[in-house]
Amino acid sequence: MSPVLNQLVSQAHADGEYQPLIDLIPYASIIGVECQRYGEEIVFRLPANPDNIGNPVLPALHGGVIASFMELTAVFQLMLQLNTPVLPKIVDFSVDYMRAGLDKDTFAICEVQRQGRRVSNCSVIAWQERKRQPIASARAHFLMD
Amino acid sequence: MMLTDMQLRGRCQRFLEAQPHMRKLGLKVVSACPGVVVIELPVQAELFSCDVNTYLHGGVLTTMVDHASSAATLCAVEDYELCPTLDLRIDHMSRPAQDKPLFVEAECYRVTRKVLFTRATVYQLTTEQPIAYAISTFMRPDPGATDPAFKAMIEGDD
Repeated sequence: MSPVLNQLVSQAHADGEYQPLIDLIPYASIIGVECQRYGEEIVFRLPANPDNIGNPVLPALHGGVIASFMELTAVFQLMLQLNTPVLPKIVDFSVDYMRAGLDKDTFAICEVQRQGRRVSNCSVIAWQERKRQPIASARAHFLMD
Repeated sequence: MMLTDMQLRGRCQRFLEAQPHMRKLGLKVVSACPGVVVIELPVQAELFSCDVNTYLHGGVLTTMVDHASSAATLCAVEDYELCPTLDLRIDHMSRPAQDKPLFVEAECYRVTRKVLFTRATVYQLTTEQPIAYAISTFMRPDPGATDPAFKAMIEGDD
């Protein structure tokens, strides 16, 4: 357990200020991950950003950026829902791309399918206009110890 | 006509430079030959975190692997085609040291009419000590569907 992590998670829960926690992971602040809590649900947002473009013709978001955003969504979701926060360690990650991610805001939510003592099993979906028309879906396993 | 390693490297380099996010990360093409490309992520202070000592490359590795796999498809087909990724799976085997550059060797090992198959190894010292292993598939576009200007730019005149 890291004291810094513990403090940032408690602070995020107390005043709804999630950015300091997100900025703990450098790549999350480089691509510009944000998050907002709605009751029990936490929605992560990746604002449109010219630096995240991978296909300049469409233009479309870089596929790797979409996947990383989804992976980070799962990491933060896990950190925020644990009683004793740890930094989850990724074991595997698998993403299916369904539509091109256009140059606009992208959203993601993570559902923790199973939270074990050692391993967490997560599924993440990402969308832009409509949640029912996801641009990608992913699943991942994390080690929690 | 078989493309030379030099020509393939040029294509990969232009492909990398055409993508704003790749320029931002400072990725480099180390080498290219038919079907295989090696990409480097140099050590970068802005990817470090001093507060927690794990998962420092969080997410970066995924972006890098996606890009390298996509570049490997460039080295496997003669005419450039803009191939969207269908899926990507990464297994993480060990944690990278943050003070050493990361490399990805990606190979497009099978080309079919509609789909391209790739595998990639992320390493720091040698491919024998992998940090991560990834497989992915790419969809080939219909003939002529790739933007002609972008195709001409990637193919260059060498």
